[in-house]
Amino acid sequence: MPVRPTVFFVLALLGPIGPAAAQSPSPGQDLKAAIALQGFPCDQVVDSKRNADSDYTATCKDGNRYHVYVDAAGRVVVKKL
Amino acid sequence: MQAQARTPTNVVKSRLPLTFVALLVLVVACVHERNSRPVTAEPPTSPPASAPVATTPPPQPEAGVTARAPEPAPSETNAPTAPPPTPAAQPPPAAQPPPATARTRPTNPPVTPRAPATSPIPAASAAVAASSSPSHPVAAAPALDLKGLEQRLRDTNAIGLFTKLSLKNQVADLLVHFNASHHGQSRNTLQQLRQKYEVLLMKVVTLLQDGDPALASTVLSSREAIWGILTDPKRLAAV
Repeated sequence: MPVRPTVFFVLALLGPIGPAAAQSPSPGQDLKAAIALQGFPCDQVVDSKRNADSDYTATCKDGNRYHVYVDAAGRVVVKKL
Repeated sequence: MQAQARTPTNVVKSRLPLTFVALLVLVVACVHERNSRPVTAEPPTSPPASAPVATTPPPQPEAGVTARAPEPAPSETNAPTAPPPTPAAQPPPAAQPPPATARTRPTNPPVTPRAPATSPIPAASAAVAASSSPSHPVAAAPALDLKGLEQRLRDTNAIGLFTKLSLKNQVADLLVHFNASHHGQSRNTLQQLRQKYEVLLMKVVTLLQDGDPALASTVLSSREAIWGILTDPKRLAAV
């Protein structure tokens, strides 16, 4: 009998975890995915510097640095520094 | 000695254990009833809809036993009872067994508590599955909501802005390739376009599968439908 209230209580506590897990990725993860989509190696972004709107300089864990920005045509451009 | 043993006090003393045993049996019986009543009282609370059905058939002496069966039935017996009919229903529609099981499960819970009713269910579900299996692929093609899928991709939080923009650019590039192929202006063969399409789809699914698995599965399941649009010049122009 006390199992059901306990289960509901635990589920109620765990409930907020779902929406929290669905939050948008961090800028580092976003930059990493954008770099990888352009075909450049980057296992993890350890540092990112915001130069302007939609303009970042990302440093990957393996030492590679990339300039990631959106050009006038609306395309994501990744340049290796 | 015998006269002293027949005195009223001695008689009462000799009968006292018997009365004690009788009282003990009575107390045990009462305690047993109290322990069994809460169990019988549970079923009406958990399945309120099926309460009138469960109360009418079981006889009163076995109410404690028969009432326990309907209680786990809505929660536990659904899983064990549902699989037996589905394997029987699976062999006929070998192409698409999962949709058939998914459709039959919602119909089972109200019927599964009744033991004799389980035998007609597999036949009915098998008939439904057999009748729906040919029509399901036809219904799957128009089920693709390209606008809705696009909106879900825009709204999802599993992908960042840079990533979304990159994917959008790559989709646009692929569409340019397809349009050029349809107009005879591309060197890419259909197989090469298919390969590019698959790679791009895998990228999308990979990016989505952790943050938005539902959307990832939707994208993956609509792979062939999207490919059908891409390879049809008229439908592609309409998009």
